[in-house]
Amino acid sequence: MRPGQGNAFKEGKAVASVRTGSIPAAQPAPGTAQQASEDQPAVWAAGLAKSYGPTVALAGLDLHVAAGETVALLGPNGAGKSTAIGLLLGLLTPGRGQVQVHGRPPSRAVAGGLVGAMLQDAGLMPGVRVGELLAMVRGLYSRPLPLDALAGIAGLGPLLGRRADRLSGGQAQRVRFAAAIAGDPLLLVLDEPTAAMDVQARRNFWEQIHAFAGRGRTVLFATHYLHEADDAADRVVVIAGGRKVADGTPAAIKANFGDQQVRFTLRHGSPALLAALGGVRAVDQDGARVTLHTSDPDATVSSLVRSDVRWSGLEVGGPDLETSFLRLLAGQS
Amino acid sequence: MTGFLALELRRSLRDVRYLIIAVAMPIGLYLLFTGLFGTHGQRAQGLPQPVELMVAMIAYGAMWAVFAATGPRIAHERAIGWDRQLRVTPLNPAAAVSGKLLTALAAALPAMALVAVTAVVSHHVQLSAAQWLAVLGIMWAGVLPLALLGLAIGYLAADDIAFPLTMALYFALGALGGLWIPLSTMPHAMQDLAQALPSNGVAELGWRIAGGQASVLRAVLVLAAWTLGGGLVALFAYRRRAIGSAH
Repeated sequence: MRPGQGNAFKEGKAVASVRTGSIPAAQPAPGTAQQASEDQPAVWAAGLAKSYGPTVALAGLDLHVAAGETVALLGPNGAGKSTAIGLLLGLLTPGRGQVQVHGRPPSRAVAGGLVGAMLQDAGLMPGVRVGELLAMVRGLYSRPLPLDALAGIAGLGPLLGRRADRLSGGQAQRVRFAAAIAGDPLLLVLDEPTAAMDVQARRNFWEQIHAFAGRGRTVLFATHYLHEADDAADRVVVIAGGRKVADGTPAAIKANFGDQQVRFTLRHGSPALLAALGGVRAVDQDGARVTLHTSDPDATVSSLVRSDVRWSGLEVGGPDLETSFLRLLAGQS
Repeated sequence: MTGFLALELRRSLRDVRYLIIAVAMPIGLYLLFTGLFGTHGQRAQGLPQPVELMVAMIAYGAMWAVFAATGPRIAHERAIGWDRQLRVTPLNPAAAVSGKLLTALAAALPAMALVAVTAVVSHHVQLSAAQWLAVLGIMWAGVLPLALLGLAIGYLAADDIAFPLTMALYFALGALGGLWIPLSTMPHAMQDLAQALPSNGVAELGWRIAGGQASVLRAVLVLAAWTLGGGLVALFAYRRRAIGSAH
């Protein structure tokens, strides 16, 4: 766990709580309940498991998210991401294991206004205007963000007078984001938040998430896009088949699981030479077009330049997560 | 909670389906029936035709108002995921359900009052102030079991069948409950059935009070039984959905 961000006083308290070796029980401490909650890990889950009949959705997940962290829950479809999120929001009851949000059971953390969430299949209240809807949601929290700030952050100004059930997919997504942060929650949970967004909307969206996280808030988001996890998260937890298979910084995850690709058209040289280039893990060939899967594209390209191989049409591509997951899953079974 | 309730109410009053079916239709039917049956005859309850029909249409309008605000609306909110979104806010689930119930009951009031106003304006129906208060107030309380049935439908039925199901129940309870045709013109078996229905219970309360009769016990018992039954089904439906909407 990372020490709490913020002033020295808070860090001192965080260290003290680590020394006691467990989550401190409720005790008369200076400050409000809110401050006490801020010193707890934002998410703490141990051995979390959930099955639907014979289908195992989550098979024992341990998850720790420190306050102030931005963590990506990365995995292919069906990995158990949404189940994990449902459990930590109290929408589901675990079959086994435990989960706490800021030291409380999830439903109490939600009831206490510590959590805001943007769910994958959540909609907006029909028959009301966006401004009315957000005002109502703000009213449910004790210390909401000002409506002006909200409209500014989420680029909602022009939508406030519109009917919430007559928005385009991207507009609705913006309103759902605004509703999720309306209460200025300590923990913001997002399940595949950019699914309905185009490229520009995605960029704006992640800028807003950064702005929100920059105020010391915790963000946990599920995605199956490695580049999103890479761009937005301090830490990436990879889950596949209902289990955690990796946990680390985006760079470490990419080095381990997300092979990058170097592609070119082979003009001269033996394919056998290619496998010996720096960082190369696998070579695919489709006619003269070669794809090198590499853990270190820099090393691959510099050794390619020094080699006797002649090429044209060089491309360096991002990690191919799908391939990595398939390899990962194959390795597990 | 108050903000949630206020917004639910505002939304109900803007709902065109509500305005047409709950408000305009009972008024239209009232004018139609009083035109057809005349205004001088007496009906089974010994009440003047305009009063008897007024009470029936108050019950009819109130019934749709509480159904429209519950069954189809809740089923739709579950289908589009608003229900889920609300569950990740601090709004207490019990408060959310109570809010729905109160909104439904509140939506019944304008529908009821406007039929009464129509009766006064068009046929000069006269009741004492105490009778007006009692007719409207007690019939209003009597709508509670219907609102609970609406909640049950909302939490049990799929979005695409909730509206037709609610409509069918509304027509069935209206016709079989003696709101369209006087009970005395029905066969005995159907009269017995009618007297066990909550729609008839609500109208019965109004007829008895408007006629100055104190014996409302049977209607109260029928409505109490429906309140208990409807409440249990609604509770079951709500809990089932709370556990079931796992996805």
